[in-house]
Amino acid sequence: MTKSIRSRALKTAVGLLLAGTVTANAQDVVIWGGFPELTGYYERVAESLSGKYPDLNVIVEPIGLRDHEKRVALGLSSGLDDATILELIGSTANRYIVNDLIQPAPEGVSTFVNDDSNFEAFFQETAKVNGTVYGVPVFRGQGALFYNTDMLAAAGLEGPPTTMHEYDEYAAKLTQRDADGNPTVSGWSLRLSGGGGGIAEKFWINLHQYGGTLLEKDGDNYRAGYANEHGLAALKQYVDAVSGVKTVTVEMPADAAAFQREQTAMFIRESWVIGDTAKKAPDLNYKTAVLPRGSIALPVNLYVSGGSDEAQTAAWDFAIAANEPEHLIWMLDNVGWLPNRSGVDYSGVVAAKPQFGAFVDLPEDYVFFTLPSIEPINEILTRFAAHLVDAYADESLVGNDAAMLEVLKASAEETNKILNRAGILAK
Amino acid sequence: MLRRKQFWFAIMAILPTFAIFGWVRLFPIIETLRLSMHEWNLLSKNKPFVGFQNFIELFGDNQFMDALTNTAVIAFGAMAVTIPMSMVLAAIIYHRTRSRFSGFYETAVFIPHVVSLVPAAMAWKWIFDAKLGPLNAIIMGLGGDALPWLFDPVLSVICIIFLVSWQTLGYGVLIYLVGFRNLPKSVFEAAQLDGANGFQSFLYMSVPLLKPITLYVSVVTLISGFNVYAQAYVLASDTQGAPGRQVRVLVLDMLENSFQNFRVGYAAAEAVILLSIVLLLTMIQFGLLRGKGGR
Amino acid sequence: MSATDRARRTNFLLDVTLFVICILLLTPLILLIANGFKTPQEMLVWPPTLFPKDPTLENFHKVFTETPLLRWMLNSFLFAILSTVAIVATSALAGYIIGKFPFRTINIIFILFLATAIIPFEVYMIPLYFQVKALGLLNSVGGLLVGYLVMSFGIFLIRQNVIASIPDELLEAARIDGAGELWIFWYVVLPLLRGPLAALAVLAFFQAWTAFAWPIIVMTRKKSFTIEVGLANFQSAYTVDLSLLSAASAAVMVPSVLAFVLLRRNFVEGIAASGMKE
Repeated sequence: MTKSIRSRALKTAVGLLLAGTVTANAQDVVIWGGFPELTGYYERVAESLSGKYPDLNVIVEPIGLRDHEKRVALGLSSGLDDATILELIGSTANRYIVNDLIQPAPEGVSTFVNDDSNFEAFFQETAKVNGTVYGVPVFRGQGALFYNTDMLAAAGLEGPPTTMHEYDEYAAKLTQRDADGNPTVSGWSLRLSGGGGGIAEKFWINLHQYGGTLLEKDGDNYRAGYANEHGLAALKQYVDAVSGVKTVTVEMPADAAAFQREQTAMFIRESWVIGDTAKKAPDLNYKTAVLPRGSIALPVNLYVSGGSDEAQTAAWDFAIAANEPEHLIWMLDNVGWLPNRSGVDYSGVVAAKPQFGAFVDLPEDYVFFTLPSIEPINEILTRFAAHLVDAYADESLVGNDAAMLEVLKASAEETNKILNRAGILAK
Repeated sequence: MLRRKQFWFAIMAILPTFAIFGWVRLFPIIETLRLSMHEWNLLSKNKPFVGFQNFIELFGDNQFMDALTNTAVIAFGAMAVTIPMSMVLAAIIYHRTRSRFSGFYETAVFIPHVVSLVPAAMAWKWIFDAKLGPLNAIIMGLGGDALPWLFDPVLSVICIIFLVSWQTLGYGVLIYLVGFRNLPKSVFEAAQLDGANGFQSFLYMSVPLLKPITLYVSVVTLISGFNVYAQAYVLASDTQGAPGRQVRVLVLDMLENSFQNFRVGYAAAEAVILLSIVLLLTMIQFGLLRGKGGR
Repeated sequence: MSATDRARRTNFLLDVTLFVICILLLTPLILLIANGFKTPQEMLVWPPTLFPKDPTLENFHKVFTETPLLRWMLNSFLFAILSTVAIVATSALAGYIIGKFPFRTINIIFILFLATAIIPFEVYMIPLYFQVKALGLLNSVGGLLVGYLVMSFGIFLIRQNVIASIPDELLEAARIDGAGELWIFWYVVLPLLRGPLAALAVLAFFQAWTAFAWPIIVMTRKKSFTIEVGLANFQSAYTVDLSLLSAASAAVMVPSVLAFVLLRRNFVEGIAASGMKE
């Protein structure tokens, strides 16, 4: 009597449990991306493969970057059930490769990547570890200056700033203030809050213009490279802007959203802003300019893991198809990220959207830097960011070079400690 | 004989629950304790034993100390707000039990508790928004200065305390209401005959008699305060779309150490510290509030 | 003024105070719902408006067509119901045993249950994740359930209730009459526990409904998100549409509030019946 009720309940429960389960079939390929705006692009590539793989079901799952990194960590460490294409920055993928959680790419893919007519050496290297190819390059994040031409004209400024000193001047002239002198429109929107590593990354871009670097490479080892006059110059610029001249404050709207709503005159960001602005503020009058010395380049590659052999083959084919010129041109035009493939004619897009010029027409001596593929890179950036955030909020640092250098030194000590723990501190 | 039969029934009946418990609670807890003494980067096969190194390193880690301070402030802050307020509110609602609005009061007070955390935090995020939120609008309307609620390190913690208290208030009120209902009427009638007014009988009689309830509410509030995560994640999050100053709390630090810095052993050590603190505080509360006045 | 008049005046003042406080408590949620009806442009207006000047259903339309919100709500609901059933079942039986069969072994088990209740879930979440993965239950309601099958407080609640309101004599009488233990549990004890079990059911349901940290690591596929996780992911895109977010949050909030309003009476009575005096 109670037994039959119990067994019925058990059967219903199992049924309900299975009802809530989501699994993919053998011919399913899942794409895990950290950039939701690329969904359309992946869907196009999937469609283009429907001839060759009629049963292929591509499930695109982009989420915010931080959660993306978390799910990749969890998924790879415990093994992925379905064939999954992972969109990863080269430096992040490194740790998985080193721990044998991502396997080398099959031969056909290797040949494709190693072909110099497909990719430049810089991008090939990001997809390789110790000479073996593990992934397929697809796009990169690269910075440039975005500036509102109307606001510059109103302030009597001709053309974009070309030195860090001019950046400060422009920022001061472009800031609009209210009756009490508080800034209402920031001259130059800086990354003062938001996303642990992001703050450090953006600081590094400015640091780079002063000739400095966050991490100095010494053979296979690294050390903190910012507790010096370059770091001081960069930090000073921030502190003066926030606490000194007050051209920007923490609570002001920032980043692309602010730029699109004309709440800031200029800011440095990657090319996706172009695609985003076309959708959200199509009437905005703005141009782009190259940075004084060079820019960050964060190459993103596609890796494949999990699933049956045939699903994996389909997945790799997808990664290569994603590099078809027509899809890359579409991505550049509609989303704005920069494709890495060489030999594709982007001139049509650049002609229609001249703002891309600052990303592709680069001076000969433009210097790139990228995040080193070392294990503790995330932690180093996040902890440095914490020090920076405190420094930005500290009004007593204005004009106090010694104190600012102290802040940098304290943080550099922490950075070196982390490097030491990972066994890669340079002597 | 009879007792034996009952004993075996008891053991058999409790076995399924205990088995589940063992698997979903005891085993992972022991595993966490074990992991805290090892170093593991989540990905590799080897987990070298490091003894107490993780703990030693934690106390020198200023991000962890930050998280610890923030979490403690939030937990105690929420408790300090919730207990007196819910006691007083419950007293008033109890006094008005016969009002036809009593159902409305009970419901309204508890609704914040049942609303999903994320929508609630988003509601408050808008209210606290420095540039767009009604809170600053009201302040400026009254002639004051707009405050950067979610950006200032002190203010953002206060915002979280607010949010957490708002959510736990209803729970506290309900439990206190039950407590009030169970208070012996005779003692209060006697006091009234002696000339004590409502306020006096509340302060000198209800409060001490409600000690066991206060103990329970304070333990629950403190524990959930130390576990705060979703509120910080949403309200004081630092995502690009809705920036604010990230308030570092213990659970957030733990998850970041596990999944972004890939130091699971280190995070487990943090978990052990969290556990020890909670246990210690619970025992202290029991010591303080249990001995006297309870029944 | 007579004593009754004074009492009536105090009552009136108290009512007004309570009313104001309750409205204040509910204001953030009311504003949230109102925001759901505003256009994105109106969200950026300063000073902010309380109620939309130009109400639109566009946000809600977008939310329901462009996101799997309904699927998320279904996931949350399924998870919450199953968790409630499991918790009520285990708490009822375990609470009864611990309350009425105070053998040494049982008491030790009780202490274990209590001790682990104090330990925050997040502390042992990560090893539990790997256990769930080992069973292949990631991205499924089963995996979610693993963390929410038992509730120490539930066992405690039932124990209190059993001790306070089920006299030993009743059980003895049934035993003398020749009833088996299971029969006693099912037909004598359970009916008497109806109140507290209902209250526990409400608590368990809302605990599962508002779970956050655990679902966010167990569910990685968009389709299998619970509501909390789905909404939290909303705001991690680069630029966030506040009115859309408010609409989504409001849509999620309304069913749970309604459910609670309906169940409140059961809940309060159930807690009261457990005799919170220990």
